[in-house]
Parts: sequence; structure tokens; C-alpha cells
Amino acid sequence: MPIRIKVLLSKLGLDVHNRGLITVAKELRDAGMEIVYIGNSFPKEIIATAIQEGVDVVGVSSLGGAHLTLGGDLMEAARREGLKEQMAFIIGGVFPPADAEKLREIGFDGVFVPGATREEIISSIRKIAYGKMNKSF
Amino acid sequence: MAEKRGEKKKTTKEILKAKLVRRKRTPLYHPVVLKTLRQEFELWRNSSVRKEDRENWLATPHTVLGSQIPREMIYTPLHNPDLDYMQDLGFSGQEPFTRGIHANMYRGREFTMRQLTGFGGPEETNQRMKFMLDHGGTGVNVLFDLPSIQMYDSDHPFSKGQVGMSGVAVDSAEDMELIFKDIPLDKVSVSLVTHYPSNTAILFPMYLALAERRGIPWSKLQGSVQNDITLEEVVRSGPEYIPPKDCFRMQCDNIEFIRQNVPLWNFITFNGYNLREFGTSGVTEMAVALANAIETIEEMLRRGHDADWVAERIAFFWSPASDFFEEVARLRAVRRLWYKIMKHRFHAKSPRSMWMRCHAQTSGVSLRREEPLNNIIRASLHALASVLGGVQSLHVDSFDEAYSVPTEDAALLSLRTQQIIQTETGITEVVDPLGGSFYVEALTNDIEKRILDEVDEIEKIGGYVTAIEKGWLHHKIAEYFCNERKSIEKGEIKLVGYNIHPSSMALPPIHVFRYPEGVEERQRARLARLREKRDPEQVNSALNALEEVCKKRKNIMHYTVQCARVDCTEGELFTVLKRAFGLWKPPVLW
Repeated sequence: MPIRIKVLLSKLGLDVHNRGLITVAKELRDAGMEIVYIGNSFPKEIIATAIQEGVDVVGVSSLGGAHLTLGGDLMEAARREGLKEQMAFIIGGVFPPADAEKLREIGFDGVFVPGATREEIISSIRKIAYGKMNKSF
Repeated sequence: MAEKRGEKKKTTKEILKAKLVRRKRTPLYHPVVLKTLRQEFELWRNSSVRKEDRENWLATPHTVLGSQIPREMIYTPLHNPDLDYMQDLGFSGQEPFTRGIHANMYRGREFTMRQLTGFGGPEETNQRMKFMLDHGGTGVNVLFDLPSIQMYDSDHPFSKGQVGMSGVAVDSAEDMELIFKDIPLDKVSVSLVTHYPSNTAILFPMYLALAERRGIPWSKLQGSVQNDITLEEVVRSGPEYIPPKDCFRMQCDNIEFIRQNVPLWNFITFNGYNLREFGTSGVTEMAVALANAIETIEEMLRRGHDADWVAERIAFFWSPASDFFEEVARLRAVRRLWYKIMKHRFHAKSPRSMWMRCHAQTSGVSLRREEPLNNIIRASLHALASVLGGVQSLHVDSFDEAYSVPTEDAALLSLRTQQIIQTETGITEVVDPLGGSFYVEALTNDIEKRILDEVDEIEKIGGYVTAIEKGWLHHKIAEYFCNERKSIEKGEIKLVGYNIHPSSMALPPIHVFRYPEGVEERQRARLARLREKRDPEQVNSALNALEEVCKKRKNIMHYTVQCARVDCTEGELFTVLKRAFGLWKPPVLW
């Protein structure tokens, strides 16, 4: 029996679009994961909550254009706290194609764009999260 | 008209039923002719129609944001046997306005081509606005950036990394001056996309202050704001919310002040669009907007105003999506229903109050990231449905919006789409060209009933604000969009290039919009200079006066205008509102 994955989900910054994130929250919950949904939040607060809750995955959503600026801050804070090795970081939203690549370069383990299916999201989160768990044991 | 306290309040549906049930009708079709037709129809159905078609007579279009209304294989007069031409349709510009609010419709006035504009700092947006006007755009439609929408200043910690994104940055009246540089406010009709009652109360006064500074009387200003509680309390995701009842009070304060002081301004745009895009059917979109409009007019009556005085300047905003005939029919349906509500529930006298005037924006959620050029076709069809449905103004979404804010080329293509419909196709020469189609009229009737049923459901919950407070609407939407996602994944809703006929070819790279550099720094620097040079005493006294009035039953907009005049910033005003009203936690949706 695999360990239950615990996921923190947040809207990144002031972005107003939450349809996608709510959908993903329900789908991950229905797939057996434990969800901590904190609504709109900012890089420092997201990291603080992730530590406090001891989550395996941090998922953020951005459709308003701030994926690189705030996404960059988030990954920087994650590195500062030494979380990169033990937690998986994923981001979903509306990005230009080149930015999706850049998001991986700055440290996101998973990048999801419109059109990602439920199955794709769940299986890749499982893969990334279990991958990190094995490494940190 | 006002119900006595303690008496059970009748719902709009009950009122309309009581008024309309006894009306004498003059059917267009002769009963003998209908009887013959029915026999002929049965004969045809049993002889010429294949068995499997007979068995699958009803087919339901499954579309993104659709209402899933079952359709028959063919429509005839038998679907509308009781049709009374004058009562149900009339002529355009005539009650019940089913065929359009103006007699000559687009012959008299083209639909306004009002493309959304807004990104970066005020300077960049000013340039894009001029570009669109230079290429034949006929209205301006300004979208604000994430911090401005959420009411934080550009130098607030929450705003970091987001200044100038998804819209234009604005902190004070000074930024309004830059956004509208060289644009004649007394000549161009300006739509300010202040989604929420809170940011309408804050940002519109900055526009009024700008007019004062330019010596333009408010009576010459033409345009609209959105000012809709639905957007602030249901559609928005944000870190802080004020309670729904205070939000609704501000919505009404804004209406009252603008009606009294800026006579040509449309003080509310009941916004179905963003609600539908969040995820709901075309029927719910309209029912919610009507329920909000009904409650708003009731509140204005309670404040001692006349229904016509308010309703003459009410406007609506719709999201035309992909079920083509549903879109055409529901525009006609809501026009007739709004007329009935104004005439029979509120006893309006002015025809203008009974006009369902509307703006439409083609559906963004219906666009796909895969094969983005396909979106040009989707948006054109949405735009066509809007024009066939008789809208007053239009925005066509750009094909690259699943990637970012549109590039200049993509925005121009959207404007060109409108211009081609308007000038190359002849579509606009004839009023309500689909009127009289057996199918469209039957669907119009069906949708009108469905909208009124959902309005009734909201009123039975206790009204619109209560439906929000209880989370009823939030949950309805969340359920809809999660089901829609399942339907797409199961392939019930077919999307070309995604879940049907996907292309295995690598797609050519897309040229996408990049946000200009340095906007945040420039905006922060301007704000720092402003804080230096303004008079702190004036600022404090304006903010204190606003806080006081929030706690009384007086209109707050007089006070927010004073704040704008003395260069208070948006964030400063929002801080006052939060202190005065407290915060609200919206329901959990997942």
C-alpha cells in the first residue's frame, strides 16, 4: 500500500482564476491524496505552510502572467529552506511555450498547461512525489 | 407595488404568471391547419424517417458551457402552435423586444467594436488603445492589472511580480491621466472594466477626477463600469473579501451616485460573462444576472427611487459560446424576459427601461491551446451568434489567449473579424434574420422558461445576496465545471484537435505576447513621488471621512470621489473598506 501523498495547493499571488485549481483539488482528493488548499497565497507563506503541514507536493496555479516572477520567488524560497530534495513542486496555468521550459529550468518538477488530463496530472504527481520520497529515505 | 411586511412575497415567476395567464391571445396558426399539419407530420415521420432516427428523435448537443438542451430532428409550426406574433415577437424596437431593441438595429447603428485593452503601465496601454482606435475600433475597453483588480497598490508586498499583468496598473488619479492621454473623454465611449463594486467605488472616481482636471463636465462622459457583486464574491479568487451584504450595498451606492451625477454613464453591467466562463451554462448565466438585477432594482425602490430612473441605464454582458443556436435563441429569450420583468413586475413606463442592452465577448474558455489557429474559427462563430442575436457591442477573443495576453497582431485580427462580419457579409442589413425560424422560436421559448425557472429557484432561497452568502451559487458553479471536465475527458464534449482528430504533426511555433520590462519599477517610483508631493492632511481627512460614512447609511461614493481628488491610492481606500466592513470567508469549493 503506497504512502498517502499530501499536497498543498495554492493560487499564486493575486491571480483571480481558480476554476482549474479547484478542479485539480477535487481530482487529487478523489485519487486518494490528502489536500491542503490555501487559496491565494504568496511564495513565503506557501513555503511556510508547506513546512508546517509537512506536505509531499506543493502545487501552484497561475493564469495571470506572474508564473516566472512569483514562481521564481517560490523556488528560491524552497531552495533556501532546503525543500527541493524532499518536496515536489508543480505549477499549472497559462504560459507561453518558452516559459513552460523556463519553469522546469528554475526547478519546477512538473509543469501543466491547459489540456492536461486528469490522468496525466495524477500519474505524474504520483511519479514525482514517490520519486522524491525514495530519494529522501 | 411594495409588498406589506409579513405577507409572503411573490416570486418574479409568480408575478409574471398571474399577469400573463389571463391575456387574450391571437394565434397565428389556424387550428384546422394545425390539425392537418399534425396528421401530415405523423405520416411523414412514420413513412420517410428511418426507424433509428425516430428512436433517437431527441439529440442533445454537448458543448463547452452549453445548457444541454435536447433538440428534435426537425422543427415545424407544431412546436409553437399557440404563437401570437404581436405578443411573442412584435417588430424590432417594439414590445416585447424579442426581435431587437431598435427598429432598424444595425442599419441605424453598427455594433460597437470594443476590444479589451490593458497591460503593463498606463503608457503602454495608452499606446495600444490608440492603435486600436486608429484601426477602426469604435470604443475603448480598459482592463486593470491583477493588483488593481484586487485593490492593492503597486508597492504593496502582495503586488510583487504582478504589476501590469493581465491589465494596466493604476494606483491613483494620476495614472488615469496617463492611460487616457490624448483620448477625448467627451467623445469616445469608455468602458472601464472595474469588475467589482469595491473597485468601481475606488477606480471610477479617479476617472471622474481626471475629467475635472481636464475641465470636462461629468455630464459629457459616456461609457460604462461593471460594478457587479457576482464578480467580487463568486467568480473572484482573492486573499481578502468583504461581506456580500456590504458589497451589495456598495453596488447600489455606486449606481445611485453615478445616476445622479454622471447621467450618460452606464453604472452597472450585470456580468454574466465572467460567471459563465468560471463554469456554468448559458441559462444559469442569464438567470443569475437577472436575479441580481431584480434585487438591485428592489433595493433602489427601497431607497426611494423610481424603477425607470434606474433601469434606463442598466446593461448586461454575455458570453456567447459554442452551441450556436442556443446562443442566438438565448439572447432573444432574455430580451423578452427582461421586458416582461420590467413591464409587469416593476411597472416600467419608459421603453428604454425594458431594453436588455448588452455587450458580448466571445467565450475564452471555449478556446484551446492545441492548434491555436482553430480559435479564430471558434471566435468568429461566437461573434456571428452574437450579431444574429442582436447585441449592442462586441469583443472578439484572440486566438493566442490560451498562451498569454494577445499580441498586437492577434488583437488586430479580432477587430478585423468584427469588421468583416459588419461590412463584408451583408448579415447586418436585415433585423433579427433568424426570427420566425420554427427552430429558433421554439428554442427561444424553451430557454426563456428555463431562465425564469432558475430565477425562481434563487428567489425561493431568499434572494440573490442570500444565495451568495449561503454558498449555493458557488457550489452550483463548481459542480458544473467539474462535470464539464469529465465530459471532455470522456469525449462527450468534442473538441477538434484535442480529443477528436488530434494532429500528430509538430505545430509551428507561436509568436506570443511578452510583457514590457520595467513596469513595476516605474509604477513604484511614480507612486513614491505621489506620496511625497500630495498633501497628507487632505489625504487623511478624506480617508477618515470615508471610514465614517461606511458605518452609516449614506452613499459612500461622494467620499471616494473626494479621496480620488486628493490623490489617495487604491490600496489606501481598500484598507478603509476592509476596516469598516470586516472580512468574509467564501465557501470551500473542492
